[in-house]
Amino acid sequence: MVEVTNTKNTEIIGFACSFCTFKASEMAGSLRMKYPDGVKLIQVPCSSRVDPAFVIKAIFEGADGVFVAGCHPGDCHFIKGNYFTRRKMAALKEMFDVFSIKDKLRLFWVSAAEARRFVEKVTGMHNEIKEKKNAE
Amino acid sequence: MKTGIFICHCGHNIKHTIDVKKLSQYFKKYPGVTVAEDYPFVCSEPGQDMIRDSIEKQGLDRVLIASCTPSLHGELFKDLLKKSDLNPFLLRRVSIREHCSWVGDDLDINTEKARRLILAGLYSAAHYVPLEEKVVEVTKSALIVGGGVSGLSAAAFLSKMGMQVYLVEKEAELGGHVRALKDIWPARRDGKEIIDEMVEELTGKSNVEIFTSTTISAFEGFFGNYEVTLNTPKGEKKLTAGGVIVAAGFSPFDPRIKPELAYGKDKRIITTLDFERDSDSLSLPENPRIAILHCVGSRDEQIGKPYCSRVCCINALRVGDSIKEKYKDSYVESFYMDVRAHPRGGEEFFEDTQEKGVLFTRSNIAEIVPGSKGVLVRGEDTLFNEFFEREFDLVVLSIGMSPPVDNKLIATLFKITLDKDKFFLEAHIKLRPFDTAVKGIFIAGSCSGPKDIEESINHGRASAVKLYGFLNLGYAFVDPFISIVDPKRCSGCRMCEQACVAKAIKYDETKRIVHVEEAACMGCGLCNSTCPSSAVTLKGYADMIIDDEISALTEAI
Ligand SMILES: Cc1cc2nc3c(=O)[nH]c(=O)nc-3n(C[C@H](O)[C@H](O)[C@H](O)COP(=O)(O)OP(=O)(O)OC[C@H]3O[C@@H](n4cnc5c(N)ncnc54)[C@H](O)[C@@H]3O)c2cc1C
Ligand code: SF4
Ligand code: SF4
Ligand code: SF4
Repeated sequence: MVEVTNTKNTEIIGFACSFCTFKASEMAGSLRMKYPDGVKLIQVPCSSRVDPAFVIKAIFEGADGVFVAGCHPGDCHFIKGNYFTRRKMAALKEMFDVFSIKDKLRLFWVSAAEARRFVEKVTGMHNEIKEKKNAE
Repeated sequence: MKTGIFICHCGHNIKHTIDVKKLSQYFKKYPGVTVAEDYPFVCSEPGQDMIRDSIEKQGLDRVLIASCTPSLHGELFKDLLKKSDLNPFLLRRVSIREHCSWVGDDLDINTEKARRLILAGLYSAAHYVPLEEKVVEVTKSALIVGGGVSGLSAAAFLSKMGMQVYLVEKEAELGGHVRALKDIWPARRDGKEIIDEMVEELTGKSNVEIFTSTTISAFEGFFGNYEVTLNTPKGEKKLTAGGVIVAAGFSPFDPRIKPELAYGKDKRIITTLDFERDSDSLSLPENPRIAILHCVGSRDEQIGKPYCSRVCCINALRVGDSIKEKYKDSYVESFYMDVRAHPRGGEEFFEDTQEKGVLFTRSNIAEIVPGSKGVLVRGEDTLFNEFFEREFDLVVLSIGMSPPVDNKLIATLFKITLDKDKFFLEAHIKLRPFDTAVKGIFIAGSCSGPKDIEESINHGRASAVKLYGFLNLGYAFVDPFISIVDPKRCSGCRMCEQACVAKAIKYDETKRIVHVEEAACMGCGLCNSTCPSSAVTLKGYADMIIDDEISALTEAI
């Protein structure tokens, strides 16, 4: 195996909702769109399944960034799940701000049709975090 | 734990950018892994046999398949486990194709990423428990939204199969756009005739209820038993439908969006649809000069419509053809980008109209200016790189197909998704072209993208067949991914109850704790992530499962 340690590679963990963002990521793959290998997904039925504890755990265990992604507001397959997600992540972000790690958490909306947006979002996040990390 | 890991080459798809041999060698030595094999096509018959053999001979209790994305071949591999007497929910799929081999080009980097992904699958699958698929009773009835050719053909099939059909049409008459079309191509028949034949098939059928001038005001419930509220001219009506076929059709492109075409400002500038409705009363001179514009509202990035509408070239040809039939010495010029006369016989029809004397000019049209004598068409001839300006007696805009006006409303009502062009999105363009992401809700016809009549009818029938397959037995299996409450941990704070949109959480006044109503739970997991006492668990997505997946991905294990 190649030695890719956390200090070298920028590792992003993304929680992706089965009904939209995960679908978009599948489409991005089928369309052979490229994005950094550091981005790795965990499939959840709805973005609202993401417990803030998961985000904290991922950061504590060395992820350079975490994103939670779901359907656009109003489009949630479970009707209002993403509104709850938005509230939870906003609260979590404030807490992260206290520890100056606010930038490590992102929340974004990517629908099932938006493969390109998925790639743009994850690549953008990865590159920003990587730059910051290298500057440190 | 006895886990079997099967890594697919997917021919060259995976093997070319992931070192599958290295991976299987690596996992062979991994604790808890009994079998680790790589194989050219795990979904093939011999591939499946190999997995089945391993399960039976090695007594595997977990199966991990690293291959294409989990939404592909999901049922196939589940069935494979069932046939081997292993609970199908002990299967883990890891997507090393869509999420790895196709995402990067570097073999070493991809191999490492795939290793991590498989590791995450391995760790989370260790917490999997056998689950029972729930059996729910389903109503053998279908709600069809839209009475165009696609909706009508779906209704005809379902009613023939003996299923109760509720056909809802917002207009006063059935038939959609086809009713207004004359001499439709390639059947060369009147649209109304075809519609009348289709409606005839449904009238008088005891299992068909048709609601015209009706809209849907509410939609609730779950697969197999959707509760529908209709707004009919006679007032509100409630019904239960096992599934839904959305056949809401398209909206003709409105050329007013492009003011340079001057549509609506002069009656000598009309659309193909106007031409269909009223071509006899056009007051044309003896030898009229007529311009026909292709791609109006299609293949136009500027107005956010990059797609080809597929029928407008043929419509442009039909207009040219009928003018030439009527006025032998007319001057008819078609302005096109490419002529995409796509369906069977289209090319021949294109040649025919050329022979009849319709002129074709490859061009970009800049503007249309109505004048006192005639209508001026200005543009650039893109074959000769010349600007031109010509006068006509009539300009016909071959308009494209836009999404139905109710697209957002319907998407919100049924919780289905729109694609980037705002048509309804299918679950998978190749493998599930009729399904939406919501179980039991299908799409049909031009509401999922421009289609001609033949394609719309085929789409409608196919969706009907699929829905029939879902409901035919009167019962269906649904995924057991629902939440459960641990009564020992629940403190009765009722936070989950407030969060649950499905109202699936019930509070017990005497015990002062909650429980989940299985049939109502949608499986979102919101209660799980809300409960401060960790008393709720969403089956299949328990905290431990996700926690270990995180650890594996960050290599903190
Ligand atoms: C000018 C023109 C000429 C054409 N000529 C040809 C041709 O020659 N040959 C050919 O093969 N194709 C032709 N077509 C294409 C043809 O019209 C379509 O293929 C066909 O109409 C698609 O059928 P449909 O059932 O999907 O949609 P539609 O015909 O649009 O029917 C959809 C129905 O759903 C109803 N509806 C919409 N929203 C709701 C709602 N919320 N609730 C209830 N009901 C709703 C609508 O009122 C409508 O009746 C032409 C199209 C145009 C614009
Ligand atoms: S069918 Fe012809 S006119 Fe219509 S969008 Fe396609 S190329 Fe343009
Ligand atoms: S999983 Fe969702 S639908 Fe089911 S009980 Fe929990 S919050 Fe309600
Ligand atoms: S949130 Fe948890 S503790 Fe509170 S009532 Fe629901 S299950 Fe019980």
